[in-house]
Amino acid sequence: MAPRTYRPEALNTSKGLFVLACLLAVVAMAPIAWIVGLSLKDNKALMLGTEAVFALPYTLANYVNLIGSSQVFGWFFNSLVVAVGETVGVLVLSSLAGYAFGRLEFPFRRTLFVLVLFGLAVPEQAVIIARHQMFNWLGWHNTHLGLIVPGLTSAFGVFLMTQFFRAIPKEIDEAALLDNTPPFRLFWRVMLPLTLPAQATLGIFTFLHAWNDYWWPLISATKKEMFTLTVGIASSQTNFAQSEGLGFLSAQAVFASLPVVIVYILFQRHIVTAVSGGAVK
Amino acid sequence: MSASIEIRNVTKRYGGLTVLEDISLSIAAGEFVVFLGPSGCGKSTLLRMVAGLEALDGGTIDLGGTRIDTLPPGKRGVAMVFQSYALYPHMTVAQNMGFGLENIGMAREDIARRVTAAADVLEIAHLLDRKPAKLSGGQRQRVAIGRAIVKEPKAFLFDEPLSNLDAALRGRTRLELAQLHARLGSTMIFVTHDQVEAMTLADRIVVMHNRRIEQIGTPMEIYRRPATRFVAGFVGTPAISILGVKAAELGPRGLTVDLGSAGVLQTRLQLPVAVPAAGGLEIGIRPEDVTVVPPGGDGIPARAEVVEHLGERTLVYARLPDGQQITAEADGRSTLRAGTEVKLRLDPDALHLFAADGRAFHVDAGGYDG
Repeated sequence: MAPRTYRPEALNTSKGLFVLACLLAVVAMAPIAWIVGLSLKDNKALMLGTEAVFALPYTLANYVNLIGSSQVFGWFFNSLVVAVGETVGVLVLSSLAGYAFGRLEFPFRRTLFVLVLFGLAVPEQAVIIARHQMFNWLGWHNTHLGLIVPGLTSAFGVFLMTQFFRAIPKEIDEAALLDNTPPFRLFWRVMLPLTLPAQATLGIFTFLHAWNDYWWPLISATKKEMFTLTVGIASSQTNFAQSEGLGFLSAQAVFASLPVVIVYILFQRHIVTAVSGGAVK
Repeated sequence: MSASIEIRNVTKRYGGLTVLEDISLSIAAGEFVVFLGPSGCGKSTLLRMVAGLEALDGGTIDLGGTRIDTLPPGKRGVAMVFQSYALYPHMTVAQNMGFGLENIGMAREDIARRVTAAADVLEIAHLLDRKPAKLSGGQRQRVAIGRAIVKEPKAFLFDEPLSNLDAALRGRTRLELAQLHARLGSTMIFVTHDQVEAMTLADRIVVMHNRRIEQIGTPMEIYRRPATRFVAGFVGTPAISILGVKAAELGPRGLTVDLGSAGVLQTRLQLPVAVPAAGGLEIGIRPEDVTVVPPGGDGIPARAEVVEHLGERTLVYARLPDGQQITAEADGRSTLRAGTEVKLRLDPDALHLFAADGRAFHVDAGGYDG
């Protein structure tokens, strides 16, 4: 066989790797497909065995029942308030702190930054008892505020925003200074818009984390009407194989995932930009 | 509107490192002054001190008779064009140009009028709604200049604004900058390490080296009468040839220098001050003052090592029998090749004499009008 010309793009077309990637994708997608399948089955059929998911008929009855259940919508509302509140709060605080650490000069800046980063190393479990007692004393349990506030201090968010603000060329600030820009306007009109990709990434991660959080709402929200979706669905599992059944539970899980999927689809372009940003000038 | 700039005894230190020492300079209203020097000589720092982006560690700066080193950058009445252009990426061209005016509370119609006028001058009116990412390097450069123009500053500051452009565009933009200066009549300071930019744009060049000003003069003064050996070596492409002086004797007709294998030259140099002994003396001569003698003629023997045929002229990089290098110029139609033996003639009136301390002495500027 005559030697073939080397083609750099050939690196991207290894068939073996492609097949492997497809297999991994199937493994990752299988639980999601499984849940969707269960949610479309009659509860009684599932009580006989979950293999029923592979056979007709399918039904939307579980979703119809879901719409009729006011409790799930209450939990959905709680999750939405907590996730949106936490996301907005983290974006505001992390942007301000990141700007200060990344662009401003002030005493003990490095020390304070190291202290903030130390927050990345402290697991939530280590502080949960102290936080529980403090919130009990403040009377914040079973409130939206009590569910939102612990998530606002994001060491990761501050770190991410600091790195982004640092990466903005200093000539931009200097041009703004020569343009007679007041300090807050410099932050708001010039610097902040340049960190939009990072804001989107941080916003999505925070939203997903808050939406999926189970541990703190389980401790703080003890009244059923203050449950978030994660805690609420988990509490429904006590009814397993009774009136609600596995199909209804799966429909709740699919319903709970929808906002996350929507958020991801809407903002995925920004996530990609943020992750690949800086790799190629 | 243009204003004079007075820089008095300015000093700049970074920790223990002094980057500018006791710099004083007067720039007349409407003058185009170029700060020229190698990297790290402090030229950009000095410009940034005028802009207010670097603090002074000593001295004062006045603009139009008002002290400005006490004011923040936005209040100084200067506008700056950065090397990287520093446009706001998320704003359109019009917003970029109008942002500074918005900050001082100017009415929207007035901003629009000024932006449109500047855009017309710079021929970027069709780009006003685009963002910087959608512009070419040359277009961004024009927007950066436009952002400066709309502010109608008392002085324009340019920090190596052409260095990111390709050679052809750089040449064109250079010409346009000269036209802009002629049209606006504004005071302009332009920082560059490119001597062609300095020579073509400047009313006066400030050559900087090693924390201080080496020489201030018109482009031709800098070229024909360099104040120091550094200036002579830095300005001019190809560089001036430097030859060691074996012996020198001052007679009634002028200084006679023995250049070893380059021969003995009788010059008309009259030294105004005592110059250190011959051991430390050197002479400098520019390529155009060293000619290749036609075959059979009389001259200094040398061997052509590299020959560059540039079209309008030919450059000959030659080596003298004692190993010293010298650059000569020949006619553009010369068929000379590397490796051939040539004879060179030095114009004794074009010699520059350098003392051991770097000071330069000249016979004559050799310039003429017309």
